[in-house]
Amino acid sequence: MLRALREIEGGLKLSLNVVGRMGRLRRAPIRESFLRQVYFTGVTAATGVVLRASVLGVLIIAITMDVLDADTDLAVKILLLLVFREIGPLAAAVVVILRTGTAISAEVAMMRISGQTRALRHLGINLYDYIVVPRVAGVMLATVVLTFYVQFLAVLGGLLFSPLIIDATFMELAGRFSTLFAPVDFFYSTIKALLFGFAIAACCCYHGLNPPNLTQNAVPQVVTRAVTQSAMLTLGINAVFAYIVFGILFFGLVTAKA
Amino acid sequence: MSAALRYSLQQPGTPGFVLEVPQGGVTRAHLPDPQSKARFIAAVAKARCGEGEALELLGEQVDAIGSAARARLLRRVGVLSPSVALITNLNAWENISLPAAYHGSPAPERVAEITQEVLPALVDEPLALLARLPEQLNTLQRRVVAFVRLLVVGPELAVIDGVDEGLSRGECACVARFETEYRARHPSGTLLYVDTKEEHP
Repeated sequence: MLRALREIEGGLKLSLNVVGRMGRLRRAPIRESFLRQVYFTGVTAATGVVLRASVLGVLIIAITMDVLDADTDLAVKILLLLVFREIGPLAAAVVVILRTGTAISAEVAMMRISGQTRALRHLGINLYDYIVVPRVAGVMLATVVLTFYVQFLAVLGGLLFSPLIIDATFMELAGRFSTLFAPVDFFYSTIKALLFGFAIAACCCYHGLNPPNLTQNAVPQVVTRAVTQSAMLTLGINAVFAYIVFGILFFGLVTAKA
Repeated sequence: MSAALRYSLQQPGTPGFVLEVPQGGVTRAHLPDPQSKARFIAAVAKARCGEGEALELLGEQVDAIGSAARARLLRRVGVLSPSVALITNLNAWENISLPAAYHGSPAPERVAEITQEVLPALVDEPLALLARLPEQLNTLQRRVVAFVRLLVVGPELAVIDGVDEGLSRGECACVARFETEYRARHPSGTLLYVDTKEEHP
């Protein structure tokens, strides 16, 4: 219980520090570290893993439509509500947790254990600036890009393959999709992806910087904790966000078409 | 001559000692044991005292200063220690230029100048070395890169811990030139070599 409270306090402190220090991205070594992170998370992940994630979106729509005996309208609603709003950001978050979250937590823990963080402190380099800020900012940006990528492929896949299951043409589905699509869907998934990226990277950096001990045995423990908590945070944010935006608070104000 | 550093460790159960390092000179200190040395290095590197310790760095009592003054003070102190590692995902050149790139000084040209002057005097094939990652360097090369990084920062007080630890006799001759290189660039700076009595009776 005490450890959980300490982790929440540490996580909040780290998050506030990151927000306050985003301006440091202008400094050359931090910007380079940020770009490296974007490349690692956004570009390298986009090749194989995201393609598989987008296939998941296609499968979901195909199975759901088959089971529900869906018509054109329902098929497009499923695409928009389920794949675009929910599966897209979540699939991207899962990819980021599995690929980048594990790498960040292990890398930062190794930096801490091998004395690299000590070296940075001795050189007057702030650990938040050099380690946390570029990773958090990079992962946030990359998660948004990956989300768009997954959404694009999943929606395109859904529109292309749905005519094989239901009695509708691609043009009919695409036309209905463009009618139902509202800007709020885009903002909703973008903000959600940003929050997912922030939570995942901040959580992994926090655990990496605070290993249970300074031996190499601590690395697997750090990775396990970071991945578990990142996944829980992502699901929590998803639930809270969906409730706030489409729940009672803004109901009627935010006119997402459903 | 005023002192660049005054440190004392007085704690029951540990061999206490007092160390005073005159400003502008080269001092070799043999501390009682590795634990005392580790505590001393940690205190200097963080500009913070633990229980039973007292430290005055470059004329400032570290216990009496705030975090901003401590950060300023630490910019004037450099520590080179076997436990202070290079950043593993940066090559040797990026490691050397990292503090200058972060703090915005000295200029990149000055960093390149220092590196070009110092590296050839200490290692073979300096250009090839600059492109290598720390894991591709041997102990001596890693120590030389860390030393050049220290020179780039240009501290008024440089503390070098266990400089010849784990090195062969030939390599020790190489690190012996650190003093000359530091003096050439920081004539008024203070250099402190720290070791333990057990290791060098």
